[in-house]
Amino acid sequence: MTDWNALSDEAFRRQVRTFFETEYPEELRHLPHRAKFAEIRQWHEKLYAKGMVAPAWPVEYGGMGLEASKLLIFYEEQQRWGVTRGRDMGVQMVGPLIIKFGTQAQKHYWLPRILSCEHIWCQGYSEPGSGSDLASLRTSAVIDGDYFVINGQKIWTTMAHDATHIFMLVRTDPRATKKQEGISFVLAEMNQPGIAVRTITTLAGEDEFCEVFFDNARAPCENLIGELNKGWAMAKTLLGFERIFIGAPNLAQNALVQLRTIAQGRYMFNDPVFRDRFAKVALDVEDHAALYTRFADQLKRGETLGPDVSMLKIWVTETFQEITELMIEAAGPDGGMIGPLQVGNVGIDVLANFYKARPTTIYGGTNEIQRNILSKAVLGLPE
Amino acid sequence: MLRASVRTLLERAGGIARARNARENGWDRRVMSQLADAGVLGVAARESVGGLGMGLMAAGVISEEVGRALAPEPVVPAIALAIGMMQRVCPGDTTLAVAITGEIASAFAWQERGPRGYPDQMACRFDGKALNGSKAWVAGAVGADQLLVVAQNNSQPVLVALDADGKGIYSEPRRQSDGSQLCDIDFVDAPAKVLAEGSVVSEALSGVVADATALAAAELVGVSAKALELTLDYVKTREQFGKPIGSFQVIQHRAVDLYVSQQVAEAGVSEALARMHVCTDPRARTREASRAKARACSTAKKITRESIQLHGAVGYADEFDIGLFLNRALVLSAWLGDAAYHRAQWMDAVEAKADD
Repeated sequence: MTDWNALSDEAFRRQVRTFFETEYPEELRHLPHRAKFAEIRQWHEKLYAKGMVAPAWPVEYGGMGLEASKLLIFYEEQQRWGVTRGRDMGVQMVGPLIIKFGTQAQKHYWLPRILSCEHIWCQGYSEPGSGSDLASLRTSAVIDGDYFVINGQKIWTTMAHDATHIFMLVRTDPRATKKQEGISFVLAEMNQPGIAVRTITTLAGEDEFCEVFFDNARAPCENLIGELNKGWAMAKTLLGFERIFIGAPNLAQNALVQLRTIAQGRYMFNDPVFRDRFAKVALDVEDHAALYTRFADQLKRGETLGPDVSMLKIWVTETFQEITELMIEAAGPDGGMIGPLQVGNVGIDVLANFYKARPTTIYGGTNEIQRNILSKAVLGLPE
Repeated sequence: MLRASVRTLLERAGGIARARNARENGWDRRVMSQLADAGVLGVAARESVGGLGMGLMAAGVISEEVGRALAPEPVVPAIALAIGMMQRVCPGDTTLAVAITGEIASAFAWQERGPRGYPDQMACRFDGKALNGSKAWVAGAVGADQLLVVAQNNSQPVLVALDADGKGIYSEPRRQSDGSQLCDIDFVDAPAKVLAEGSVVSEALSGVVADATALAAAELVGVSAKALELTLDYVKTREQFGKPIGSFQVIQHRAVDLYVSQQVAEAGVSEALARMHVCTDPRARTREASRAKARACSTAKKITRESIQLHGAVGYADEFDIGLFLNRALVLSAWLGDAAYHRAQWMDAVEAKADD
């Protein structure tokens, strides 16, 4: 077992970088879509053999146990080389909750299967009537003997059609006085008669999201994580460390490199108007990276991030969108073409970038919700 | 520490009210002396010449505080231009020592008017004894004891010093929106003494202009920080329809956008100063200065304009302080190049780097 934290940050970065550069399959670099597990199985096996599936998990549960600075380096290198996140809902979302709130038996059963990808997870949070107002969710779980009986519907469930299990927030006490109360965190197997999945085709033409229908679906009561009716507060604790990643600079940085390539290929830099607009977004990216570094340094010092970290997501996603809009302009009459445009000897998929930028201001809490958070929790503006 | 002491000093001197007073009375020689006594003017100068040797980042902190307090004293021109120039080209000259102690206030003149702003060639001539020609946009010249002028001597750049009230100097002060004055100055056979000459002068010039540009950016960051604070206080207390206007979501989201812009500007400008602090490559320093000024100008203009709007009608009234911030932001943005100018400079620098 490698003691990663014994390495210096720079030595760790070199090791991770070398590993990605030598082992990661070239054809999977910068995948424009979310991969199904079958596509990336061999890559997962390499990570698994190296014990590198779960960078943030403690070593005792099979993780790398990385301290904050090395965790950031790991993700930075992953993004730099265009390494897929893989099917990481298990590692990123449900695993940490089981580690924090699960019983010994639950840890013993679920965690190794997350690491091996014997179980592939999807997240059942949003519902047709519960998006930004997630706590209003209505999918119900009623105890019947040793089982929860689940009825209702989840939506925007990423890659549910490629998952073996779902972790979900369900209403277990419909009489609770506050909507945040009476919600529980339950795990269920996807392959059962009570669950039906329908894919939703996105504007980009991809089947990434799903609707999941529950019609007397069943989950054993031992699949309850944490206390009954206390799932909301528990699920919210997940939003600590992860919130910096949703505001990381890489999406905008990658798009900027592509914008520069297409603009050079089409002689756009001779146009002073375009030059100014390019400089504006390029500086937006550069100064955002400076702000991101400040938050990353907080983490490295072992501090907890406050609600102000939301500002990273607002700025970077809106900048990302602006960059992809400029890409379309730079493409001129080819701006509506599906598939890669040939620029010199590289192909750049302008529309794929444009579409990819759209949901970034919606997922993970819309930018409007982020603004509400900053307004109340950081600026202290009144109700 | 440095930040707190400068903030206290400027508050005790009279705070923001001085920005209003300066319209009639200009900047305050006594406050400038107090700043000099606190080491402010020599903050970036080496200890061997009587400075604090704390470098550009500390100078940035001071500039931010000057911006927050809307202090009318020409602190950035003194630190970055006059003192910065002398430290580079004539560190042993007594003129530098008395500038750092605040005994002699110097204004630095190098820009000249061309048809489109800055000309390519400097027309101001020094013949070994006297100076002839014109300089423009000279900051801190009203109230200065001495002028430091960059000119040409037989196609060699030269830095000369003149007594501000000496003969052959015809100064035309031009009033700006915040009450401060920039001077256009004509020199007709004005007696001057040489401080330095040769390529050392032109190399130093680009260095000090980069420093001044970055410190003006830091001053703008201070201006917008304080304007935003005042505006947030205002929307929390001003009531309409029976509630504070800050409880309305449309106001909240606009306030958040200003706050996020301010945070990005603080991070970007301070990173640029930190990079300049450790970097000696003139092109890289100029590039970072442009990055800082482009960001600071666009942010300060946005925040001060929006602050007027969020104050409503009183924001348009001169007796309310918030307008003072807009006026200072306009002046500092125009000085040494605004956002669009510096975005263009930055693009050129980035492309030059890519060609290396």
